[in-house]
Amino acid sequence: MDFVQSFPAISILLCLFAGIISSGLKGKAARYMNTVLILTVTVLSACTLLYTLGTGESYVYVMGKFPAPWGNEIRVGVLESFMALFFCIIMLLSLFGGMKKLTEEVEEGKVFLYYVLTNLLLSSLLALIYTNDLFTAYVFVEINTIAACGLIMIRQNGRTIEAAARYMIMSLLGSGMLLMGICMLYDLTGHLLMSNISEQVALLAASGEYRIPLLVTIALMSVGLAIKSALFPFHAWLPDAYGYSTVSSAAILSSLVSKGYIFLLIKIIYRVIGFEIFDNSRIIDVLFVFGLMGMIFGSLSAIKENDIRRMIAYSSVAQIGYIYMGIGMGTAAGMSASVFHILSHAATKSLLFIAAIGLTDVSGGSRKFVDLTGAAYRNKWAGVAFTVGSLSMVGVPLFSGFISKLLFAQAAVQNNGKMLPALIVLGISTILNAIYFMKTVIRIYTPANGTGSCVTFRSMKLYAVTLVCFIVLNIILGVSSQPVVDLIEQGLAMFS
Amino acid sequence: MGANLLANYGEAVAMILFGIGFGNLLLQSNLIKKIIGLNIMDTAIYLFLAEKGFIAGREAPIIVDGIQDMEAYINPIPSGLVLTGIVVSVSVSALMLSITIRLYRRYHTLDLDEISIRLKKEGL
Amino acid sequence: MQYIILAIFFPIAAGLYLLIRKESENRKNLLLCTGAFLIISAVLVVIALFLAGGRMYTLFSLTDKLPIIFKIDEISVLFSVMTIIIFLCAGFFSFEYMKHEEKEKRYYGFYLMVLGVLIALCFAGNLITFYLFFEMLTLSSMPLVLHNGSREAIMAGLKYLFYSLCGAYMALFGLYFVERYGNTLTFSAGGVISEQAASAHGGILLLVAFLMLLGFGVKAGMFPMHAWLPAAHPVAPAPASAVLSAVIVKAGVLAIIRVVYYIFGSSFLKGTWVQTTWMILILLTIFMGSMLAYREPVMKKRLAYSTISQLSYILFGLAVMDAGSVTGGLLHVLCHGFIKAALFLCAGAIIYMTGKTRVEEFRGIGKEMPLLLWCYTIVSLGLIGIPPTGGFISKWYLAQGALSSGIPVFDWLGPVILLVSALLTAGYLLPVTIKGFFPGADYDYNSLRKKEPPALMTIPVLILTILSVAIGLFPGTVVQYLSQMIEKII
Repeated sequence: MDFVQSFPAISILLCLFAGIISSGLKGKAARYMNTVLILTVTVLSACTLLYTLGTGESYVYVMGKFPAPWGNEIRVGVLESFMALFFCIIMLLSLFGGMKKLTEEVEEGKVFLYYVLTNLLLSSLLALIYTNDLFTAYVFVEINTIAACGLIMIRQNGRTIEAAARYMIMSLLGSGMLLMGICMLYDLTGHLLMSNISEQVALLAASGEYRIPLLVTIALMSVGLAIKSALFPFHAWLPDAYGYSTVSSAAILSSLVSKGYIFLLIKIIYRVIGFEIFDNSRIIDVLFVFGLMGMIFGSLSAIKENDIRRMIAYSSVAQIGYIYMGIGMGTAAGMSASVFHILSHAATKSLLFIAAIGLTDVSGGSRKFVDLTGAAYRNKWAGVAFTVGSLSMVGVPLFSGFISKLLFAQAAVQNNGKMLPALIVLGISTILNAIYFMKTVIRIYTPANGTGSCVTFRSMKLYAVTLVCFIVLNIILGVSSQPVVDLIEQGLAMFS
Repeated sequence: MGANLLANYGEAVAMILFGIGFGNLLLQSNLIKKIIGLNIMDTAIYLFLAEKGFIAGREAPIIVDGIQDMEAYINPIPSGLVLTGIVVSVSVSALMLSITIRLYRRYHTLDLDEISIRLKKEGL
Repeated sequence: MQYIILAIFFPIAAGLYLLIRKESENRKNLLLCTGAFLIISAVLVVIALFLAGGRMYTLFSLTDKLPIIFKIDEISVLFSVMTIIIFLCAGFFSFEYMKHEEKEKRYYGFYLMVLGVLIALCFAGNLITFYLFFEMLTLSSMPLVLHNGSREAIMAGLKYLFYSLCGAYMALFGLYFVERYGNTLTFSAGGVISEQAASAHGGILLLVAFLMLLGFGVKAGMFPMHAWLPAAHPVAPAPASAVLSAVIVKAGVLAIIRVVYYIFGSSFLKGTWVQTTWMILILLTIFMGSMLAYREPVMKKRLAYSTISQLSYILFGLAVMDAGSVTGGLLHVLCHGFIKAALFLCAGAIIYMTGKTRVEEFRGIGKEMPLLLWCYTIVSLGLIGIPPTGGFISKWYLAQGALSSGIPVFDWLGPVILLVSALLTAGYLLPVTIKGFFPGADYDYNSLRKKEPPALMTIPVLILTILSVAIGLFPGTVVQYLSQMIEKII
């Protein structure tokens, strides 16, 4: 066995231990440790990615001494390692972009806690991505929820605590359903490892036994994860949680935490239930319909919103709708479009959050649109970044958003039954997106009568560099998407 | 159908409890009642697991008197899962309670809707 | 390769440079820069046309099946030459005109970027490249509409944006299907839809074609999605209105040419419900545009309505799908481009010199600035279609093509509506001339002062006027060039 194969396990453990160690460190030391950790994990994931690309197949890494079906396993393929790599990059950039704001908004003595939580969050995300064991997945889902709740609450005001409470309640409902689903699946199949379950499920489906319990199980797990990833209509907690927490948290929550759950759902669909069986169940249509509704209602709420951060948060609802629409399409093309949208939305949404904070900072801290007039002139970098993010969200070619829309549409064209609703809603949602994002862009570029202070590059080097990295990432995804799409397709093929 | 239900009354009770807990967690506006609902829901799942793992006439999977025969014990995995699950639900409940305490200190009420209304008034 | 890239990206880069360069007090410097950039761009385009014609260049690939391709063919030559001439004229005009507007730097920056994007549109070799730059065109031309930052301008800009995005999305919708059923997305004369695909998926392909026509028709101000045009064009500074109305809307026409003749092919669309419905919409637009222009008191708005109607002349020529009518349509692209630019520049010069915007205020204007009003009159006659101007030739071909096309009802209805609309055109353009030269007996001649605009304004107008007449006097070469090309696509 190659040494590289143990890298995923090492990175999960590294994150957990880093979390423990940094709880004894001071703020600054914890920050350094966190940065070094994320960089290390990035490098490790990159190595794993190269390794899996080289061998061209996935491998199973046995944790501990017990072999399957008793022991605990990690399964690594191209897509898993790529996701891990991408999530690390986004997380690092989000933390850098919000670092200055973090020190302003969080009490001096509590900053180290933030890094403890991010370490935990990263470990749980990695575990969700890599694990081959359903119950392990559940445990890390809960760790993820707790860490995310902490990230929301770390900035102490009434809004964030209330948002955290609401977030916890919705998440707990979701994880309750997920756990119930897992238990029922264990009951039906007698296994907890994904590969073993899927064999048994295939047998069950072929024999036609336990049809209804199986359907209920699928429903419980998909709905549970859908609730956790804030699919419409379970999004009530989202605008407050994203809108009032500190900016790094908002970026991480919107681009990583909810995406981690969706990735788990995709894994369950492919690796546990089997794509065919999932496709034949009616659950997929439910996800499709709620995805479509989310696309429209999320955008409508965003249009009504008068607060830039909450507007971006509502836009997340719409984007999650896109992802579920792709999953609901029930084709391989739809699935890879969804995975691509996970990437493109992660790159875009965190960019938007971080750019928005730059704009509100130069407008006297106000997030109302009226006060943002001309903000792009006061903070040029944030203005450009926000424009790029908006264009990507609207789906203008050359940016990542366009490619994901293109992929969704191509997937829709191949699916005769769902083609028309998907394309029509895609169109409506594109236009709605354009309404609120372009309105904001025009607003921030409308000259104001000299209120607010200008910021210079010197005072926000790290911030500006982060924004540039995000923009570059976005354009890379938009311009040369083919390698990424190939990678996703290869990875999805490895799933089954 | 009826016979199945009777034979599996434990699972049926677990499901009913799960529903009660779920409903409470979702619908109650009082935070403490929500947390109680959460605990009922989790317990229902553990009941379900325990019921599934139990085989009549066998012992708990702890080796005593050196009996290594598989037939003597019940399936140990559900018990393990229940233990893990309890750890998770304890920590989650603790977190929820701590949030509740903070909200109560700030707003002197446990009603989540009431808190939302006050937040809107604060206009934060 | 490098010639095309240079011709496209030099103006865009120059525009970006102007946008990010420091705000300097020295206006002369900025103008010198812009002027030099404009001329260099023009030279680069001409070089590209001569040296890089006919071959295909792939810039890079968005995805495996969607490469960004540039290719120069006859249509590209036609549109790019027109674009560059009008941009030069309007550009030099704005050096004088923009004196009384603020934020010149931003204006020139986006002006150059729009030029680059338009050149890219002309050179685009497949549908995805075209779509890409079509979106860019909307985004880069929007700041021109928004220029003065008033509430009215912002509302107009938003309106422009939404209509354009809706249209572009409809077109994109079509792109998905063409990609699936067509052989390729590359523009090729005669269409890319194979006979098998046409017979197997004819119904859906026709629907898609119709949607694409509607979608790209938004940019060309086609009914029912024309409402943005009279809102957006007049609020821009006059030279910007000139390029908006004369060139940027032509991007919609170019798109429709590409879709009809290079993607679906005229043989596929001829005689279908798509052609009929499209023609009904076009004829409605022609009539309605002229009617609205006739009733509009504000000069620039009147010209914007006139653009709606005149663009549909071109579309009518394309919709008939007869060699003669297409020749007429393409000729009208040139004529309308030069004429409408000249008209907007005239209106701009009048605003600049006198501040008057409404037609009834234009009394005696011909006495104050005779040269300008003479130019106005000549190009107006051209737009109405009176020989020997270019407008006459193009409308002649249009009507002739329609009459000989043999499409029931439309072969006579089309020319009739063209005629009615020509009368209306006379009705809304000539009052300016009449009021301007014959202010009436009660006009106070004592207060009359010569107010001829400065040379930087008059010369561009003169050049455009001469060009529009020249097409009418010597149409031979152009018509020959066009008919050679049309043979290939029909």
